[in-house]
Amino acid sequence: MSAWFEASLDHQVGEFRLQIDLFLEREIGVLFGPSGSGKSLTLRLLAGLDTPKRGQVHLGGRQLLEVPGGIIQPPRQRRIGLVFQQLALFPHLNALENVAYGLSGSRRYDIAREWLARVDLKGMDQRYPAQLSGGQKQRVALARALAPEPDLLLLDEPFNTLDSPLRRSLRRELKRLHRETGVPLLYVTHYIEDVCSMGGRIFFLKDGQLTGNINVDQLWNTSSQVGAWHALGWGNLLHGEVCRREGGTWFVWGEGALELPASVQIMGPVSVFIPPNHVKILYQDIPVDPQLVPNVMHGRVVERVSIGSTTSLYVAAAGLQWQLEFPIKSYDRLDLKEGADVRIAVRPGSISLLEHDRGGSEYENTNTAPG
Amino acid sequence: MKQALIISLKVLAVDMPLLFLLGTAIGWILAKKRFKGREILSLLVLLPVALPPSVLGLYLLMFIGHVPFLKHLGLLFSFPAAALAALVPALPIMIQAARSGFASVPEELEDAARTLGDGEWRVFRRVTLLLSRRSLVAGLALASARTLGDFGITLMIAGNIPGRTQTLPLYIFSQMEALEFAKANLAAALLVVVGIVSLALVKRMEEGRYERLV
Repeated sequence: MSAWFEASLDHQVGEFRLQIDLFLEREIGVLFGPSGSGKSLTLRLLAGLDTPKRGQVHLGGRQLLEVPGGIIQPPRQRRIGLVFQQLALFPHLNALENVAYGLSGSRRYDIAREWLARVDLKGMDQRYPAQLSGGQKQRVALARALAPEPDLLLLDEPFNTLDSPLRRSLRRELKRLHRETGVPLLYVTHYIEDVCSMGGRIFFLKDGQLTGNINVDQLWNTSSQVGAWHALGWGNLLHGEVCRREGGTWFVWGEGALELPASVQIMGPVSVFIPPNHVKILYQDIPVDPQLVPNVMHGRVVERVSIGSTTSLYVAAAGLQWQLEFPIKSYDRLDLKEGADVRIAVRPGSISLLEHDRGGSEYENTNTAPG
Repeated sequence: MKQALIISLKVLAVDMPLLFLLGTAIGWILAKKRFKGREILSLLVLLPVALPPSVLGLYLLMFIGHVPFLKHLGLLFSFPAAALAALVPALPIMIQAARSGFASVPEELEDAARTLGDGEWRVFRRVTLLLSRRSLVAGLALASARTLGDFGITLMIAGNIPGRTQTLPLYIFSQMEALEFAKANLAAALLVVVGIVSLALVKRMEEGRYERLV
C-alpha cells in the first residue's frame, strides 16, 4: 500500500534540525511554511544534492535513499526534476540548448523544441536567458525540468520574483502541465495563494518539523474558525464575509471586523489570510498610524514562544486566536508576558482574500509577501 | 637570437599544456572542495609569487640535486630544467585565475546540471569549464607571458648555455654584457610585443563573461 513517492528525512545543519515525512501519489503536493522552516533543504535532500543524517526515499518503486543502509543514489540517477528558486538557467546556452540539456540521443533538439512550444515559447529557441523576460525564463526552467520526464518534479518557490498576474498564469500553466504529463509535483512556497490555487495535499512545515498535512478542500471547512489550519499551520486563516458599510469595505466574522482595501470588488463569503508577521502590536503612548485605526483589536496574550531569533505570540482577540511573529528584540518595552493585555492591528493591505467557492482564485489587492 | 627564440618557444610549448592542466586541476580543488589543509595549500601554491627567484632557484637546485631519483635524471642545466624553471613562477598565476573563474560559477547551475542527469565530470565539462573559460584563457595568457619572461630561476637551475638553455631573457642579458645593444633591443622588443598581446587577450576575455569566445 505504499504511495508513488514516500520520503522520511532526518537531518541536522548546525542548530537546525529537520524532520519530515512526505508522501504523494501522482498528484500535486504543496509544502507550506515560513522562510527558514527548512523547505529548500528538504528539496535538496530529496534531489540528492545533500545527504541527510538518516532517511529513506522511495519513488515509483525505486529506492533512492536508505541511510543508514548505504543506498545513496546520486542526483543523476534519481529522475527527480528540480526548478530552482533562482531558476538556474545556463547563461551560456540558449533556450533550446537549456531545455535539451537533460536529454540525449539524436532527437534531443526536436524534443526540446516541442517542449518550448508546449510552454508557449515557440520561436524563442535562440534567445539566451539574459534576453528573456521573467515569465519566459520560468517557462524555460519548467520545460527544462520536465523534458527528461522525471518521476517527480520539485519546485522551490519558483514564481517568487514575479508579480501576481504573472504568478497566476504560471500556476495555471503548471497545473495544465501536471494534467498533461501526469508528473507529480511537490511545490514549496510561503505564499498562501500558491497553497490555495495549486491545491492537492498540503504539508505544513515549521521550524524543521512537519506539523501535519491536509487536503486543500479541508482548508475551506468553515465549520470552525479554529479548524485544521490553526492546529497545523502558520499564519491566520479566517472565514467570514465581505460587506460594505460606513463607506468602506469590511471583512466581517462572528465577533469582529477588519477594513479591507477599497480595491476589493467581491462580496459575500470568503476566507482571508494574514501572515503572522503582518499583525502589529501597538504601543500605548504612540499615536496609531491612521491606516491601522479601523483595524485595532484589544486582546490578551495567551502564549509566548521564542525560537531562535523569532518570537511567536498567540493573542486572543475578537473571538479568535491570532498568531503573531516578530524579531525577538522587538517590543522589548512592552511587557508581553502571558496574560498581558495588548492592542493589535492589521494593515488592510496585509489581508489576502481567498475565495473558496471557486477553489481559490485570488484578487489583485492581495499583498502577502511576508518578510 | 634565433636559437634563443626557438628555446623560448620550446619552453612555452612544453609549459602551456602543463600550466593549463595543473592550474585548472589545482584551481578547481581550491575553488570547489572543502578539506583540511585547504588554506595551507592555497598559500603554498602562491609562494612562488612572493619568493625571490634566486631563493626559488636555490631550493629547486638543492631539491633536484639531492633527491635520489631526480639526481640521476640529469635534469640540471638542461632543457627540462629550463622548462621547469619557467613553469614554477607562472603556475600560481594560472591557479589563481582558474580558482576565481571556477568560484564565480554559481553552485546552483552545477546542481541544476546534476539534477538533469550529469555526473561530476560532465557537470565540470558542460557547465563549470564552459562558464569559466574566459578566466582560464586570460589566466593562460598571463601565465604564458610570465613563462617566456623567466630569468632568475632559469639562470639558477638551467644556466645560460647558448643553444641549450639560453632563453630570450637570458640572451638579452648576455648581449648586454657583451655591449651588443642592438641585439638586446631586438629581443626585448619581441618580448614587449608578446606582453602587449597577452594583456590585450586578457582584456578581451574580461569584457564578456558568458559569451562565446569568438
